[in-house]
This record gives sequence, C-alpha cells and structure tokens, in this order.
Amino acid sequence: MTASGIAVSPRPSLLKRLAASDHLAGWAFVAPAVILIAVFALIPIGWSLLLSLQSTNLIAPAHYVGLANYRALTKDPAFRSAIGHTLVYTVLFVPISVAGALGIAVALNRRIRGIRFYRVAVFVPLVTSTVATGIIFLWLLDPTFGLVNYVLHLLGLPQQQFLQDPNQALYCIVVMTVWSWLGFDVIIYLAALQGIPEDLLEASEMDGASRWATFRSIVLPLLGPATLFIVVWSTINALQLFDEIYVTTRGGPLGSTTVIVYYLYQQAFQFFNGGYGAAIAYVLFLGILIVTLLQLWIGRRRVYYSS
Amino acid sequence: MKRLALLPLIVGTLALAACGGTSSSGGSASKAASGGSSSGGHTTITVWQGDTETEAAAFKTLVAEFNRTHPTITVNSQFYGNSDYALQKVLAAIAGGKPPDISYLYGSWAPNIATNPQVVKLNKFINADPSFNWNDFFPAERKVATVGNNIIGVPALVDNLALVYNKTLFQQAGIPTPTPQWTWSDFENAALKLTDPAKKQFGWAYVNDASEDTVWRYWAMLWQAGGSILSPDAKQAAFNSAAGVKAMTLLQQLSAKHAIYLDDGSDNYLSVFNNGHIGMLWTGPWDLAQIIQSKVKYGVTILPADQNHQTISGPDNWVMFNNGSAREQAAWTFLKWLTSPAIDLQWVTLTGDLPVRASVAKLAGYTKFTQRYPGIGVWAANLNNATQARPQITTYPKISTAIGQAVQGVLLGKAQPQQALSQAAQQVNGILAAPG
Repeated sequence: MTASGIAVSPRPSLLKRLAASDHLAGWAFVAPAVILIAVFALIPIGWSLLLSLQSTNLIAPAHYVGLANYRALTKDPAFRSAIGHTLVYTVLFVPISVAGALGIAVALNRRIRGIRFYRVAVFVPLVTSTVATGIIFLWLLDPTFGLVNYVLHLLGLPQQQFLQDPNQALYCIVVMTVWSWLGFDVIIYLAALQGIPEDLLEASEMDGASRWATFRSIVLPLLGPATLFIVVWSTINALQLFDEIYVTTRGGPLGSTTVIVYYLYQQAFQFFNGGYGAAIAYVLFLGILIVTLLQLWIGRRRVYYSS
Repeated sequence: MKRLALLPLIVGTLALAACGGTSSSGGSASKAASGGSSSGGHTTITVWQGDTETEAAAFKTLVAEFNRTHPTITVNSQFYGNSDYALQKVLAAIAGGKPPDISYLYGSWAPNIATNPQVVKLNKFINADPSFNWNDFFPAERKVATVGNNIIGVPALVDNLALVYNKTLFQQAGIPTPTPQWTWSDFENAALKLTDPAKKQFGWAYVNDASEDTVWRYWAMLWQAGGSILSPDAKQAAFNSAAGVKAMTLLQQLSAKHAIYLDDGSDNYLSVFNNGHIGMLWTGPWDLAQIIQSKVKYGVTILPADQNHQTISGPDNWVMFNNGSAREQAAWTFLKWLTSPAIDLQWVTLTGDLPVRASVAKLAGYTKFTQRYPGIGVWAANLNNATQARPQITTYPKISTAIGQAVQGVLLGKAQPQQALSQAAQQVNGILAAPG
C-alpha cells in the first residue's frame, strides 16, 4: 500500500508487535536462564568492577581509590609469580587432559565385555568431591606413609617429597587434577566419536586406508568441534584452579602452588584486602576473556564443522 | 562444573560485600539475622556459633536452659559448622546490614572486625557491672578481646599448647618421661632418641603448611627463648633476634635429622601419633578426645623451657553487633549468663574445652571435669604461662604469612635460620610501614 492521501493508520502498538513476533516465545524460553545468569554472573561482574576501585576490608565502610589497586598489581611480585604458576599449570593440564581423554575415549569406543564398567570407572573421579580427591592424594603422596613412596621403595627408586617439595608440588597438582577431570573430557569425546557416520569409516576402509590413516584423516577432523570445546573449557578451568589447591597444599610449600585465584582468596579473605582481591578477579576475568576469544578465533579457522 | 562455579562465587561475594546487597550465605542465615525482634517486653536475639558437632550439641543444651530460665528473652542459635567459615558469612551479613546479635569469631580477626561501626564496644556494660568480674578472664583472653581501648568481645574459647607424649615410646627408648622442669636440650635429646626412620617413628610433629598453625608454634618457641614478635611500638619486626635464630635453629636441627613429622596441614599428625609413630606433640585440648579414644598411653605436661616455659594461647570471642538497644541489652544478658562460672563449668564438662574464667577451677564440680578428661588440668593451669599475645593489629595476617614462609623454608631445609628471619623481617617491616 502506498501513502496516497488516505490517513495512514497508526502502527500497531509495541506490545502487540511483540506478542505477534516469533521472538517472544524464544525469549520466554530463555528468560529463566538469562535472569539467573544476570543475577549470579553479570551483576556481580559489574559490582566487582566497582569494588576493585575501592579500598575496603569488607567490614568498615569502603572508600574510592581509583586505579590504585590495579597500579599496585603491576608492582606485586607475588601476583606475578601467581600468574607464572597458573600458566605453567595450564600449559601442562590442558594438553595432557585433552590427549589423555582422546586416547581413553577411543579405547572405550568399542564393543568389548564390561565396557560399561570401564566407562563408569573413568567417570567416577569427576563426581567424587574435590575434598575427597584431595584427601586421597594427600595420603597416596604422603612422603612417609604414602602408597606411592612405598611402591617406589619396592622398585628400589628414591623416596620423593611430592606435595611437600616446592619443586614437585605443582606437578603433583597437575596429575591429581588430570585424574579427577579426565572423565568429563572422555564423555564429550565418546559422544563425538559415536556421532561419526559409519559410512565414512566404511568408505575409508574400502579405499584401503590403514587404521591410523582413518583416525588421522577422518576421525580427528570430525572431532574438531569437540576438541575445540574441550580445549576452551579446560583452559578456563585451569586458569581458575582453586579448590584442589585449597584442600591440599594451600598455596605451598613456599608459595610454589599459589595460583591466581588462591592468591585472590588470600588477599580478600585472609588479609582483608577486598578491593585488591576484586582487582585480581577482574584482571583474571579479562585474561580469560582474551584467551577464550583467541581460541575461538583460531578454532573458527581450523575446525571443520560437518553440516 | 565444581571448579567453574567457584570464581563467580568469589567475585559475587566480593560484589555483595561492596554493594550492600542481601546475604549470599543462604536463606537460613539471613532469615535468622533479621529474625531478631523486640516487642511487648519480649526480645528475640540471634547467635551464630561454630566449631565441632560436640560444641553444637552442648550449645543447644545451654541455650535451651537460658530460654527456660529467661522468659523475656528468646535466643535463636544458628550453627555454621567449622569456625573458618564464620568470617565470610559475617562479612556478607554486615554488608547486607543484617548481622546477627552475637557471633563467634576468631580472635585473630578482632582488629579488623573492630573497624565495623555496628560492633558493640562492651566497656560500658563491663564497667557498669562489677559482678561480671572482667579480670576473672585470663590475661591472654582479655588482650585478644581488646582492640585499642575498646573491648569488642567476650572470651568464648581459649586453648594453649602443652606437651603430649606417648609413654610407651619413651619406655621403649629407655628414657625418662618429660617433666615440668624440662629444658630445650632435654626435649631435643628425647626427640632424637625417639626417632627411628626404619620404624617410621618420629620424636616430634610440626604443622608445616605455613599457615597460622605453623606460625603460632614458632611464637611460643620465640617467647621461650626470650624474644618478641614486634618492637614495643609495633612499628618494627623484633623476631629477627638471637632468640629468633635460636628457635629456628632448634627446628632446623631436628628436621635435618628427620626427628619431626612434617604435617602438610591436613592434621594427619594426630592419627600418626595415635598409631604410635610420634613420641611428642605440642598440641591443645582439641586433640584430647581423640587421643583418649585411641587408647594410647599418654601424658601431658607444660612446654619445655629455654629461658621460660611460656606457651601461646589462641582465644576466640563472642562479638556483639548493634541491632537496637533492646536486643543489645538482651545479647549482653545472654553473654553474661553464658560465661558465668557455673555455666562455663557446665560447658567445659560437656565439650572438654578449657574454662574461660580462672574462678571455674575453684568450683565444686571442677574435679569431676578434670577426671573426665585426664590431662586437661595441665592445659587449664598452663593458661598462666600464656602471658603474651600476638600483635593486635589489622596487618597481622600478612605478618603471619611472612613468618609462615620462613619457618617452612627452614623445616624443608631450603633456607638457613638467620637468612629466613632476615628476609621475613624485611617483609614485615614493609608491611608495617605501608599505609592502611
């Protein structure tokens, strides 16, 4: 219709347009999640930005200090070494758990007797509480009474201090967390492996491809989206490592396992530096955001998505 | 998901504390805190209390008795489990403007807690009421409850370190058991003789997680050697002294000879002791119930002396928050009743804790208490050896961390006593010089 002298009828009201649109149903469906995320994630993220600009012990009234907390962070050697420990941990944890999970998933993706048992066995550590895992490893790795040192003794190998040695503790944490988190990655990979169409595998077999060639050229590329997801997820988890440290080494010995979030906890809840703790949280948040975007950007170029 | 959930939680807690939103610690806490009321001459107050299940049950019993005998006041008690968690909950409640009327809080938090305007300064109550008899509380308790000139808490729990030993291991090693006259060299010799790596047997145990648990044991040794933590004006580190080095050297020598079971902070030392692998512990009454259960033949005596037999005490406080004068008055009535000698004796008989008042030892039922927990009398009397307190300053937690690292370095053989102390002193002086 054209505007030809006839009075233009008023546009339908916003409410009516909304009610008629397909978007409304969609928004209604996601509303509970959006509200929860807003209340428990977005609003605290905003408030913690405010908090990071304050000097506060969280008890007495706070006062505004501008960027002083951030400036102090740049000169804090303890924060720098916490970043170092976190990076070392992440660089070890992510590849080991991704490669380990892939190997186990491939091994479990077969029809053999008792396969359900093996799958459950791999998954159990994930649902074991972190506190229990921590206590188990503390006892296993106890220098005097631990099982691991006992086995080393039987094999005639030298006794180790493990979590009580500043040069070994972080690596013990890597082993412990890989063990307890592997189950999650394995489940994702198993699901992805079972989503690979049989006909593709049959076709490559008919073409005479070896099992290794099939794995490399067919299976691995098709697992790309799953791998990207696991890498991003594991990296975020690794950069936020806290629970396992809290229940085992408490950042020690000699600060060798003080990672960023543990340092944040120390500052905010042991030293009463609430604003400083919030600034650390914010720097970590931005760091994780950048790393994740980078991973997704690389992923978009390298990962093959089947239609 | 367990780990991923944590960062928003921490960020959230910080944010809530900043914005003055509602309590993040769950419905029950905030409901309880706001549940206090005062109308028609009847007042309801809320008390937050933590520690072990034993304490929780005993506290319930006493609160019921108070409510029965005080018809105009109703006390609502909320148990929050391990006292370590109290701080986060109270921080959130303060931020939400709804703190409980009374909360159990660690003594080491007192200087920071005192900065909150809602914390009730108790001097007015104590000065107006001679029958409360403030001086009946042990000196170490009174020091920890006092920040500057303000009394901000009533002593809630007190403990101290004494020497607990395994009589069987002493017999096997063919050495006489510890006496109250023991010196450091008696202690050192015994620790070495009790050590046998082949049997996985240690002379002593030390909590070596660099936490306050590591640090306070070192303070006791420092005081025994005649040293002090800070200069009298609290502006300089003073532990970097001959006494400090002497205490560190004792740790170094025993550790180098594998005479110390180094506990990683999970408190395994207790089960190792109870299984007969450790000769001596420096520990408090909190371990006594389990030691009695383990059937180890044990004895208790005071700590060995270098210059003196000082010990260290870690008192905790009942802190009151102002929610209006009627509730404040009711809270004071409850605390006065709870810490009165007769009720305190009831409390310690139920829990095996130490009395918070000196006069409890003069009550008729006291011997029944000491017979029920053999050895407890030594800790009770040992409170008189707790003559010094840790510095009551807001930066103490940071100072503690610096010392914790020094002690841990020496125990692990990664640092020399003098070097570790000099480095810690430099850090502490930096902390003390920093503004705010």
